[in-house]
Amino acid sequence: MSELESSLEVVRFAGELDISRRDEVTGALERAKAAPAILVDLSEVPYADSTVLAELLRFHAQAQANGRRIAVLIHSPQIARIMDYAGVSATFPVFDDRGAALTHLTGTNAT
Amino acid sequence: MTGRAELRINRDTGDAGTPKAFRHALAAFLSALAIEPPLRDDIIIAVGEAVANAVEHAYQTGDSGTVELHAVTDADDTLLVDVFDRGAFIDREVREGRGLGLRIVRAIARAVSIDTEGGTRIHMVFKTEPEPAADQKFG
Repeated sequence: MSELESSLEVVRFAGELDISRRDEVTGALERAKAAPAILVDLSEVPYADSTVLAELLRFHAQAQANGRRIAVLIHSPQIARIMDYAGVSATFPVFDDRGAALTHLTGTNAT
Repeated sequence: MTGRAELRINRDTGDAGTPKAFRHALAAFLSALAIEPPLRDDIIIAVGEAVANAVEHAYQTGDSGTVELHAVTDADDTLLVDVFDRGAFIDREVREGRGLGLRIVRAIARAVSIDTEGGTRIHMVFKTEPEPAADQKFG
C-alpha cells in the first residue's frame, strides 16, 4: 500500500455481489465509515445487483452528511449499466481508473 | 432464432447460492440461443433483480420457500420470462432499495407485469435481437 493510500480507507470486494452478500457489504462499509476518505474498490466485481447499489447509496448519503469523501472504482460494464438503468450514475463519484479515484479523494495527483 | 427453447429452474429462496445459480443458468441458456452481450447481460440484470425480489422475502421473514423461473422463446425474436415465488409483494416494495430493482427491470424489459395472486409473479418480455443504434448513420 502506498503512503497516499495509507491515508485512505479502501474497502475492496471481489466476485459477484448480490443480495446473498448484502450483510457482508453493509458490514465492510460500516467499518470504514469513520475514515475521512473512502475508496470502494469494485474493480474485481463483475456483477452487483440493486441490493448492493442500495447499500452504496445509503453509505454515500451518510458519508456526505458527515463530510466524508467517497469514490467508487468500477471496471465491469455490467455494473455501469445497472447504475444507468437505476438512474443513479450521476449520484456516485464513479471511476474506472484508480489514479483518478485517488485524485478525487485526496485532491492530489496520484500518478 | 428458429424453434422454441425453454428453461425451467426452481430453487430454495433460503439458499445463499440461489441468485447466482439462476443468473448462471440463464447465461448458459441465452448463450445457447446466441444472444450476446450487451443484450445478454441486460436480460441477466433484469431477471437477477426479479430473483432478488423473491429472495428478499425469505431474508425478511426467515421463511424459506421456492423461487421458480420459466423462460421461453416466442415468435418475433421475443423471450418471455416469469419469476414466481409465494411471498407477499408489498413487503418487498417497502424495503429500501427494492423499488430500485423494479426500476431496473422496467428500464430493460419491453414489458413488465406483476401478478400478486397467491404470491408474486413478475412477467417480463425481452427482445432477443439488439435494437439498431439510434445514432447509427449509413452512407
